[in-house]
Amino acid sequence: MHKLYFVSAAAAAVLAGGLAVAQAQEYPVDTVTLVTHSSPGGGSDVFLRELSRYLSPYLGANVIVENISGGSGAKAMAQLAQAPADGSIFYATTPTFIYTSLLSEPEYKYTDLEPLVNFFIDPEVIYTSAKSEFKTLEDVIQYARDGRGQWGAANPASLERQALEQLKAASGVNAAVVTHEGGGDMMINVLNGTLQIGVGEVQEIQSQIEAGELRLLATFSDQRLDAFPDLPTVKESGYDVVVRKFRGLAGPKGLPDDVVAAWEAATQKVLADPKYKEAYEGANLRAEFMPHVDYVTFIETFGTETADFLKKTGVIE
Amino acid sequence: METLTHTAAFLFDWHVILAALIGVTWGIMGGALPGISPSITMALLLPFTYTLDPTSAIVLLASTYIGAEYGGSVPAILIRTPGTNAAAATVIDGYEMNRQGKAGLALGISLYSGVIGSLFGLAMLMTLSGPLAKVALAFTPMAYFALGILGLSVIATLSGENLVKGLIAAILGLIIATIGSDPVTGGTRFTFGSAELLGGIEPVMIMVGLFAMSELLVQASKREQDERVTSRPRIQFPDWPLAKRLIPAQIIGNGIGTFEGVMPGAGGTIASFMSYNEARRWSRHPEEFGKGSPEGIAAPETANNTVAETALVPLLSFGIPGSNSTAILLGGFLIHGIVPGPMLFQKSGEVVYGLYAGLFTAAIGQLLIGMAMLPVCIWLVNRPRPYLNAFIFALILSGIYSIHNEAFDLGIMIAAGMLGFFMRMLRFPFLPTVLGLVLGYLVESNFRRSLVLSGDDWMIFVDDRISLGLLILAFLFIGGSIAKRIYDLVRHRPTSTFSESAES
Repeated sequence: MHKLYFVSAAAAAVLAGGLAVAQAQEYPVDTVTLVTHSSPGGGSDVFLRELSRYLSPYLGANVIVENISGGSGAKAMAQLAQAPADGSIFYATTPTFIYTSLLSEPEYKYTDLEPLVNFFIDPEVIYTSAKSEFKTLEDVIQYARDGRGQWGAANPASLERQALEQLKAASGVNAAVVTHEGGGDMMINVLNGTLQIGVGEVQEIQSQIEAGELRLLATFSDQRLDAFPDLPTVKESGYDVVVRKFRGLAGPKGLPDDVVAAWEAATQKVLADPKYKEAYEGANLRAEFMPHVDYVTFIETFGTETADFLKKTGVIE
Repeated sequence: METLTHTAAFLFDWHVILAALIGVTWGIMGGALPGISPSITMALLLPFTYTLDPTSAIVLLASTYIGAEYGGSVPAILIRTPGTNAAAATVIDGYEMNRQGKAGLALGISLYSGVIGSLFGLAMLMTLSGPLAKVALAFTPMAYFALGILGLSVIATLSGENLVKGLIAAILGLIIATIGSDPVTGGTRFTFGSAELLGGIEPVMIMVGLFAMSELLVQASKREQDERVTSRPRIQFPDWPLAKRLIPAQIIGNGIGTFEGVMPGAGGTIASFMSYNEARRWSRHPEEFGKGSPEGIAAPETANNTVAETALVPLLSFGIPGSNSTAILLGGFLIHGIVPGPMLFQKSGEVVYGLYAGLFTAAIGQLLIGMAMLPVCIWLVNRPRPYLNAFIFALILSGIYSIHNEAFDLGIMIAAGMLGFFMRMLRFPFLPTVLGLVLGYLVESNFRRSLVLSGDDWMIFVDDRISLGLLILAFLFIGGSIAKRIYDLVRHRPTSTFSESAES
């Protein structure tokens, strides 16, 4: 993977250098607009605003954030797809933009955008009430095997639900996957014992974990989390399910190579910035840089898998 | 006691005072603009809080919420348009009082009831957060379903003289509530491939259409010069006998507001409607309701301001936002690296005490700023009708447009306006539609969620004690009002129910 990145970056550098030797280091536009469909204070909004604080010097351009809400991202995608591919505008990608594309068939879909690079993975964890009898993931699965399990996912069309459905299939148990209107709702139902487990991002339940009211059982990430080294992954527990809730950027189709190269370099630098690192690790985000080529494939695969899941669960035809 | 002394220390912190006053002023203005909901008003301020210290930032946002919940009643009374969802119940008697030339008194009642609601809610928040949080925790999906049914039981009273028309109107609201994403499977329903409809139709669009747009259409369809009501541009507070009469209504508002505020997802709209209904049930003058009863303003306005305070209980105790507005507030906390939840008091206690002090200042500020702003508003609505109508039309169009910056939403609002126009011609009441719209999703999603939990076993609603209790209460309400109708019918007495859309 790394080799691939170096080759492409080198190729891009050569190309850029060949075109304009004197401006090899300069970003082609003065101001970069980062767009999110989430409203101020929402997940992607906070991600972009934090990022814009640190990114400018590494990228060599001003970075501003714009909220284009409406249609769960459909409007932002339409605007991006029609914008010039000169590196002046990008869109914050989360699984939502794939779900929206698949669910509502908007005029412009995720396939009309070009993924740029990935920044983070939000680890998804399985948790239970600290008062419950369940000490490990196996306890929960056994409970579902003996009778009927009740597992919670934050939203109906979400990665969390997909993860639980996969876990259900992998373990072969009969559990009801109960969907909610957000993580908060679900957490109450885990705390009051209506559900055995819930799935969510660490950040959402951090305070409850610190207060000792929730217990973590497993993480859906591919490796153990730095913040919780004792927490096993789902895969270690014997169920081959890995979930990657990505956070990255995408732009209009046909991004020039120099723009891509500039972003690949700047992303790695900004992720290593000690101050930024402190901020994002405090928010329980895991840096997972993916260069352009990998990210394009990753999004493609993610899209196909999600479409399969939605078809299988009867959400779309 | 400890809480009080800690809080008192912040009462004279000028950062907190300033943030509270700016917030409440901004909130009243945002709330008073139809279409601009409390959460949008707060969201507009959010970017400015990045540079503030955490306490000021949180105080600013929370004060905005309080101001907006109050501000919604101003257009409800003056131009028959609820500025916020929770002000829909205030329209009924508020606008009626305005038509009788008592706009100043109506605004005075809503203002001082709002302040009472804020102060009472704050007292609950400061003293009873712990026990109230336990109540919220005990609410399962089954209990939420029953709570929604209890809310819907109010339809029987809101239906006016014709129960069938009321039920039809309510079903219309329930139908509109099904548009969007299926709450359990996530599939799309009645969206016809439109991404704009994926998130459902915001109740505010329908409400503004039904109330304000239809009123404009009615005005425009009148040939003759409309009768002009001129009220003196002065805000008037009730005298002692009237104030005494309002006390029971305000107590009802406080009680229901506290309870509903604590439930994530229930919120101010249900609280105002239920308070209105209960105030009517227990009033000594139930016949005045719908014809400009001051209690009909006091109860819902006390309730929605109480909700604005107690809605902070689940946010501060669990980190769970119960509404869009508290979700923005949660964003405000997270921006400053503070995570609300069980550890909040240990880790950032001073922010909480600062918040309490700010909320107190905001409640007082609400009174002062309301008094300064209202005469201007009354003056505005006393302008000649054609100008006023053009102004209202511009106001609601821009308000609705600003929700998502979508022209599509304007179409929804205007369609609702035409629907409202015909509903008025056929004398269908609006309020059941609004109630159905607001509660439809809550009832449906929790009903289906419960059945997923139980594996389609209906006994789950009986096994859950809270659910059972609320359902029994709802059936008693429904049974009671039907029995009363039959009794009135047999005795050939005119029903003492009212029609809120009575055109005189």
